[in-house]
Amino acid sequence: MGSRLGLVLVIFFFAATLIVSVFLRDSDRRVFYTLRQYKIEQGRLQQELWQKQLRVESLINPASISHHRGK
Amino acid sequence: MGLRSFIESIRGPGVVGQNAGRRELTTIIVLMSLLVLAFFALGWRCVYLQYSRGDYYAGRCMDQQLAYVPLEPQRGAILDCRGRVLAASNHFRTVFAEPRIIREPRDASNRLAAALDMPAHEICKSIMESRNQGYVPIKVGASAGECEAVRPIQGIGIQYGWQRYYPTGPLTSHVVGFTSVDNRGLAGVEFGYDRELQGQGATNTFFVDVHRRPIAFCLQGEQDNYLPINGAGILLTLDATIQQFAREELMSQYKAYEAQGAVAIVVDVKTGEILAMVSLPDFDPADARRTDPDHFYNRVLTDQYEPGSIIKPVVAAIALDTTVLGRYETIFCENGHYHGKGFGTISEYKQGFGDLTVKEIIAKSSNIGMAKIGQRLGPTRLYEGLTLFGFGRQVGVGLPGEAEGQLSPTKDWTGYSVTRIPFGQEISVTAMQMVRAFCMLANGGRLVRPYIIKAVVQSDGTTVDMRPAVPQLGYVIKPEVAKWIVTQAMTAVVEEGTGTKAKLKEWHVFGKSGTAQLAKPGGRGYEEKAYMASFIAGAPAEDPRVLVLVSIRRPNVALKKGYTGGTVAAPVAAAVLHKTLRYLEGARPTPAAHPTPATAVPTSYTPDDDLSW
Repeated sequence: MGSRLGLVLVIFFFAATLIVSVFLRDSDRRVFYTLRQYKIEQGRLQQELWQKQLRVESLINPASISHHRGK
Repeated sequence: MGLRSFIESIRGPGVVGQNAGRRELTTIIVLMSLLVLAFFALGWRCVYLQYSRGDYYAGRCMDQQLAYVPLEPQRGAILDCRGRVLAASNHFRTVFAEPRIIREPRDASNRLAAALDMPAHEICKSIMESRNQGYVPIKVGASAGECEAVRPIQGIGIQYGWQRYYPTGPLTSHVVGFTSVDNRGLAGVEFGYDRELQGQGATNTFFVDVHRRPIAFCLQGEQDNYLPINGAGILLTLDATIQQFAREELMSQYKAYEAQGAVAIVVDVKTGEILAMVSLPDFDPADARRTDPDHFYNRVLTDQYEPGSIIKPVVAAIALDTTVLGRYETIFCENGHYHGKGFGTISEYKQGFGDLTVKEIIAKSSNIGMAKIGQRLGPTRLYEGLTLFGFGRQVGVGLPGEAEGQLSPTKDWTGYSVTRIPFGQEISVTAMQMVRAFCMLANGGRLVRPYIIKAVVQSDGTTVDMRPAVPQLGYVIKPEVAKWIVTQAMTAVVEEGTGTKAKLKEWHVFGKSGTAQLAKPGGRGYEEKAYMASFIAGAPAEDPRVLVLVSIRRPNVALKKGYTGGTVAAPVAAAVLHKTLRYLEGARPTPAAHPTPATAVPTSYTPDDDLSW
């Protein structure tokens, strides 16, 4: 009886270890994907901001102001 | 147990006869041998595939399983000294269709038309009639919102790329340069600093399914390499506002005189920072492919020409510094006609002069006076002096394509050289070399090295200072000589000489005009009615801060508006100087009521007094 219980515990422990390791491996990957997703999103937002800045730059640079004043 | 007994155990001992048993044995041995051979062959094939062709098949296998997505880095920006963007890259999106996997082109076209605000029939036509079944561009330069809207449509993809923007257009075209379609620098800073601006690309690897759809990200060792490293930013010394002042004024004169070309440079005298560099004709870097290639030349650095009278203060400074000449000593200028054995005939531009001091020679721009100063100096001292001022070698401002000019060694000089070089013939210079020489004069004889690249800022924020080190060699000429040339001789040019059009109310301006004949291309002598009109001006004379050089190439003489440096270039130099000084903080106006007192000529002239500084 005792040895059977021990066997069940070993199998249970072994299964639990496997499940946890799979979970950890999956979490690692999930965190990596989330990080990457946020980095891409950050890059996209930076690009949008940069695009707006470039638009502003093209409007307020000395050549443009001088051109508009000339008109 | 032997083979024979094994067969007998299967078939039974009575059944197997002697002959029959031998035949069967032979057959089995042959079959077994063939089998063994076959296994050997298979084994050999395995070894061959594993070791000889292993890499090839592993590669093919990975090609099937993996997809590689190259990521291009963002090319670095080019900024002026106040952080204004002169060139930058931004994301550029192209919506494209893959006709071979679109089942319902009409349906896809209708959905695309709604998302992209384009006619559906045109989209449908381009999808259905395309020869390339893998790629049909639908909209180039789509917005982020449009890309999000079309993403769910089957067979539609979005291609990302980088596009170069030049917000200031032609304003800084020659300095900034331009790039090719594949974002390689082809001119200016874009070319000279291409490696720094490029950055480092990365490749993302994915496991893909049978339809090449990504299933999982494949990390191959270094996880940090999955994002590209963007290019470094380049910070220039150029100020877009001063550049605009210079370009505006220069363009107006360039058009008014129907000139072939024109250049203007504005430099901070103390530091050597180039605040503006204009070369006309210029071009729009965003439209470089449709530009006449002749417009790509940065004439500030590439045009070599005989400087003419503008070089006179430099030669006079060398003569005063070497004490072959005194400040108050007079030189007889032969009433406008100087002829001698070995150097031919020298005449003045308009009228002849009698006795002139150095100051008057510079103010009235006497060729004969300068020729005589050259004769006093002699070839060696003249050559060494000009070399110290940097003629005959590149300035090294940090831009590609810079010419060296030409200052021949004294062994190649003829009898003419020593009398012609002092008034700017038989020597060719670039505009940048002239600016460097006058920077040294205006900076009290100290070495100055003009530069245009201030710093390189890496994508991680680290900054590499690109300012040139302070030259070890202290003075090119005595500070007293330099100061006298600037505050006395060159201010006299503006106050009463050939550069009166450069006079300003608020500041004391020093300057020198130059009108050089253009040499015949590929031949001896000069072209008829072809001139380079130059004027160099700086202010405030008592503590120079800014230096401006304006050169206008080949003004149209037929317009009869003039062609000399004092007429064509001086007004531009004055206007640029005025605007720049007002723009720069800390440039205190010199009250016009209190001009710099001119050094009075002593009543009793003694050579010893004259040569002591």
